[in-house]
Formats: sequence, structure tokens, C-alpha cells
Amino acid sequence: MTIGPGIELGNEYLSARLAPAPEPACAPEVRLVISHDQFDTAARELRNAGARFITIFLAHTPARTLTAVLALSGRLVLLRAPLTAGLPFQAAELGGWWPAARWAAKELLESELGNASPTPRLTKPDADLLRPTVAGLDVFTIPYGPVRSGIFEAIQFQIETGGEDVPRLQTRPFFKHRGIEARFAGLRPDVAVHVAERVAGIASCAHAAAFSQAVERALGIQPPPRARAWRAVHCELERMACHLDVIAKEAETTALYVGQARFQILKERVQRLRARLTGSRFGRGVIVPGGVRADGGVGLDEICSELDELERDLVRDRRLFLGTASMTDRLIGGGHLARGLVEDYGAVGPVARGSGVSTDGRHERPYGDYDRLGVRVVVRREGDAMARINVRFGELSESLRLLRQAIDHLRRRGGELHTPLPEFGTGAACGWTEAPQGELLIWVEILDGIVGHVHIASPSLRNWALFDHAFPKDVLTDFAFIEHSFGLTPAGADR
Amino acid sequence: MLEWILRGLHKGRVTTRYPNCPEPSPDGFRGHVEVRNETAADASLAEVCPTGAITVDARGRIRLDRGRCILCGDCVRARPDRFTFQSHYETAADSRAALIAGVTDDEHALESTREALGRLASGLRRSIHVRHIDCGSDGCEEWEIQALWNPYYDIQRLGFFLTNSPRHADLLLVTGPVTDPMREPLRRTWQVMPEPKALVAVGTDACGGGLHRAERVTAGGVDQVLPVDVYIPGSPPAPIAIMHGLLLAIGLLTPEQVVA
Repeated sequence: MTIGPGIELGNEYLSARLAPAPEPACAPEVRLVISHDQFDTAARELRNAGARFITIFLAHTPARTLTAVLALSGRLVLLRAPLTAGLPFQAAELGGWWPAARWAAKELLESELGNASPTPRLTKPDADLLRPTVAGLDVFTIPYGPVRSGIFEAIQFQIETGGEDVPRLQTRPFFKHRGIEARFAGLRPDVAVHVAERVAGIASCAHAAAFSQAVERALGIQPPPRARAWRAVHCELERMACHLDVIAKEAETTALYVGQARFQILKERVQRLRARLTGSRFGRGVIVPGGVRADGGVGLDEICSELDELERDLVRDRRLFLGTASMTDRLIGGGHLARGLVEDYGAVGPVARGSGVSTDGRHERPYGDYDRLGVRVVVRREGDAMARINVRFGELSESLRLLRQAIDHLRRRGGELHTPLPEFGTGAACGWTEAPQGELLIWVEILDGIVGHVHIASPSLRNWALFDHAFPKDVLTDFAFIEHSFGLTPAGADR
Repeated sequence: MLEWILRGLHKGRVTTRYPNCPEPSPDGFRGHVEVRNETAADASLAEVCPTGAITVDARGRIRLDRGRCILCGDCVRARPDRFTFQSHYETAADSRAALIAGVTDDEHALESTREALGRLASGLRRSIHVRHIDCGSDGCEEWEIQALWNPYYDIQRLGFFLTNSPRHADLLLVTGPVTDPMREPLRRTWQVMPEPKALVAVGTDACGGGLHRAERVTAGGVDQVLPVDVYIPGSPPAPIAIMHGLLLAIGLLTPEQVVA
């Protein structure tokens, strides 16, 4: 059964099919309460209807509830199955037939089983434990990481190669697991947002905004319009910095050193602008549940003139970059990802958009100011590393446009920056943003004004599952290009 | 290719002249927290800090541990009469005790670590090879270390080079509170580095754990695993702050000497 574009799949439809008792939730979140033996059938039904898997976890309030979050034509569907006792083995079932759910399900089971988990464990990696799978006389295994060459975050790739081609690659995350989700519990929302900012530092604003939106939705409040516009400004600047970083790293791998320097200069200028706006080069300490803490430290006209200058240089550097054959030759056709594969793995962000999958949290489920800003989603069909870089170039221009528009809104909107939170509010909800790496979703539970259980569905973790399949025709020396073209952060994935 | 070269030349010099000239930080930059009035505080003051960096002793004196301070600003907002942000970059210190503001340092202990660092620095030549290892940072420390090699900071002009092998390295930069799976890789990386060598903890997470408590999953700071020579607090420290720390490690600057 397929649902064509434009056909709305209403609550009624799902309600009738799955016979649930919907929980109250604010749009576009749909909650379906089902019994745990219905869980698998319901998930299959939704997958057939074209749903994209986001995450699966155990919610803790009001009772232990196995919750799967799926995205279905512009709304979130939360499948909720109360678990009175026992272990969430339904998750393992789901991970068995849905590639997108495999890692999330494994993580959930391992956290429940603890030391009784079957080995090898996803969440407790051992750098020395190699498990080669390809048999052959000349095939050898390279453990690349967790101590990387260069200044990169810790992650390990087990590369099996005969010297040139890469028949199999296994990504092993969780070397950086800091147990940060547990750190949220017991804090006030305005303090817990500091933790959210430190989940993945390079996407601090996206995490702070997603967490804040979850809190706001759970407590049923709206941040004032001026705060929403400021959030868009901080998040788009962050996206620009991340995309410029990816492009600079690609230039470095082809030894295009002037190009690398040029894009590093652009990135540094964005970081300095953010430092002047917020006092932190990563935009920290500004976005809080309820709104933002302060106006930017720089006048709006000054931001605009800085953006104009950035755009002028960016346009020239982009033309040069895309016209340098030594650069584009390495990227075109490299790390090809077929559209079907991307959909199976529920990939998000530039990785998905480079393979023709038009998914963007800002467009699918507009949050904050984005329903007024109107995001144009940049999509390329080729599916190779070049396409992912082209998506980023397209999004840089789009970010500049959105920034100017958001600044325009700020000029016209006076008023408050912060809506106070109800003091002893209780609730639970999802918040989401489109981080530079892809769609980020945070589930937050609040009891009497104190944050309880938090679950983070990281775009990096979801996209990294796909990295194992990114070497269909490529050789070992293409590794760095393909890795950079993904542009992910282990800190976000490992939490 | 010619066009790239012209494009590069066109921009002119953007590189900072630090440490020969001071590098001004932008207004309102959150460099570190300063205690305004250290005495006669009540114990409730400690509660404003989410990481436990602020403590008040029995005599009502405030201690602020920069090795745990994540620069969130909760204390500055709650008690502007007691705490204030300073915008300057130079926050690195050569001992864990020197990161604690508000009490007189244990001079003797400080003196001995300084001597050790001085001896170490004299063994290092002016061509320093740097290796980095991530032990669970949030990812922005890596960005700031990478930035040192961008045209704005260009730390290569001061003789710092990146090396891919720990066997060629003089300095080891460590980020993150040291997660369980990274303990052994960190220990081994340090072990294979030739003498003389120095270990630099970059970021509050590496200095004292920051938000992360010392518990099952993290060690709560690099010095719980290996001896640290220079601490660079900050969440994350700015590139100039890291540069200051590196110059401290090789003895080109002394802790008292502040350029800004």
C-alpha cells in the first residue's frame, strides 16, 4: 500500500487501523497508545504507509512506555506501548527488519540489559576487539580510530580491504559516550539547557532550541515572536559555520590549501560574528526554554553588512571551488548512496538531501519562525559526495536569505524576549530542529517543573549507520572525502 | 590554480600578531568568571552553580574552580554583585590549584610544578610537534584546536606542527573528561610519546570534568588518569586561549606574563 504525495493520512485513518486510544498531544504530534503485542504490526503498517523511523526509547512517565517516534507526511507519530514488566524485546524485533531502527533498538536493549547484553556491544566498544567478516587471502583489517590522525573526534572504523577496494566497513561509535542524557534529570529547564548545549558542541544552538521547544510544548507555552526570530538567526549562523567547516575539510583532503584557507577564513568570520552576538563562539547561553536570554550584542545593520561581505566572498570562492577540476574529480561519483538505501536507513540532513530525499525539519514540520520564513529545501539527486557538498553550498545561500529575513522580522517586531515557564508545570513532549547534520529530536519529560527523563535522537547516529554502505565502488584513499562529505559529529551520536 | 593564488594574495594578511601584540577579545566575550568580593558570603551562593564549581567555606570565603566552570553565566545572572565575566582570553594555568580563584594558592606546591614545567620546556626545542586525542569532548574543542592552523591564528609561525603519530609528538592535547573506552587508548598514546613530553588538557571537561560527574562512564578529568602539565579551561577555550596554553607549556610565556 502506498500513499501518494498530497494525500493526508489523518488521525482517523490510523486510529481505525490500529485501534488505539490516542493520548492528548499538541499538533503535529500524534500519539497512539497500543498494547505491546500490537507494536510490531503497527510499526510495519506505518512503514508501508511511508513513515520514516526516527527513534525508539523507553519513556518513564507516567509509566515505563516503549515509544517509537516516526515521521509520517509532516507529522510525528508516537507509537506508545506501556510496559508494565519485562524487557522491551519488541524493539529488537523492530531492529531486525527495519535497518533504520537497528542501532536505536540495540542501544535501548543494551541500556536495559546492562552487563547481560550480548557481545559485541554497540554502546561499550573495545578498540582492540576486531571482528573481521570478509574471508580472503589478501584481505586485511585496518582499525582506524579511536585515536585519529589529525584533529578529529574519537570514533572507530573497522576497514576490511584488499589494499584498494573496501568490501566491508563497520562504523563503531560510542567511544565518547558520556551518559549525558542522564545528566538532565533533576535540573530546572533553564539549567538543563546548558547540558543540551553540550551534547554536540558544534550544534549547540540546534540542541538548545530543540530542547527548549520540547519543554515549551510539554508545558503548553509559546516563546514570543522576537525570541523565535533570534533563535532562527543563531541556528542559521551555526548551520553556516558547520557547512563551511565541511567544505574547508574537503579542500584540505585534496591538498587545495588556498581553498581550505579561504573557507576557514569564512568560517572564522561566522564564528567571530557569533562571539560578538552572544559572547560565545558557539552561540551558547542564549537560547533558553521560553525564549532567548538577550538581544544580540551587535546591531542589526551591522549583522547585515557582515552578511553582505560574507556572501560576496562566498560567491567567489564557491565559483572557484566548483571550477577546480582536481577538487571536483575526487568528489563526483564518490561515496554513492542510492535513494532506496537512504530511505531504508532513515537518513536525514544533507546526506539524505544529496540522494534525492527531500527531508528537512524546517519544512516538514516548521517550528519557531520557520513557518513564516518559508524554507526552500535544497535537494540533489546524484547521491555522491559532490551532491552532498552541493547541497551544503545551496544551504549556505538559503541560510543567508533566511538570516536576512529573520533580521527583517526583528526590525519590525518589538516586545518580549522571554515567556515565563509555569512554575510547577508537568508534561512530556518532543521538540525538534534541523541541526546542520540533520533532523534532531529531543523527548523531554517534566514533573513539577523539574526535568526528568530525556531522550535525544541524534542525526549523526542515524546517518552513521549508513556510512557502512558508502563505499560501493570506492577505494581506501577516498575514505577521507566520503567521511567529510557526511559532516557528522561523534559527540552528538555517542551522547 | 593561478586564480586561487591571486585570491589568496588578494586578502592580504589576516593573521594575529599574538603573542607579540595583544589580541583584543570582542566586547561581552565570556572568557572567564571573576569573583568580585570573596569574603562574607553565605553558603547558599554555591547552589547557583550547576557544576559545583563554586564553594563557600566555613569562614564565608568563595572559591571558584575554573576547572569545573562551564561559563554558563548562571552565577553572574543570579549574583552580579559577586561574580562577573571577564572577556580576556588568557586563562591557562600550570597546575590544578592555580585554576581555583578566590583563595591564596599553596605557594610551595605551585612552585614545584612550575619548576618541573620549566625543566620540561627547556628540553623542548622551538619546533614543537603536537598530537591531539579526543577522550569524549563535545566536539567544539576540536574546532577551536583546528582553528589554530587557520590563517587567522596560524600557529605554525610559532613553530607548532601537527603530527599524525604520537611517536613524533612533543605535546599531547587531550579534550574531554576521559570516557571509559578512551582510557586505554589515552594511556597508550601517552606511553609511546618520546621524552621530553608535555600533556595539555584543553577545555573545562578535560580540566575537571565540567558538567560530567566522575562516575561510571567518565573519569571526570584527564588528571584522574595521567599527570597534566598545562590546563586550559573554557567551554570551549577560544583559539587564543589555547595558543596561550601551548606557549605556556613550552616556556615561551610564564603564567604571570599576560599579553593582553
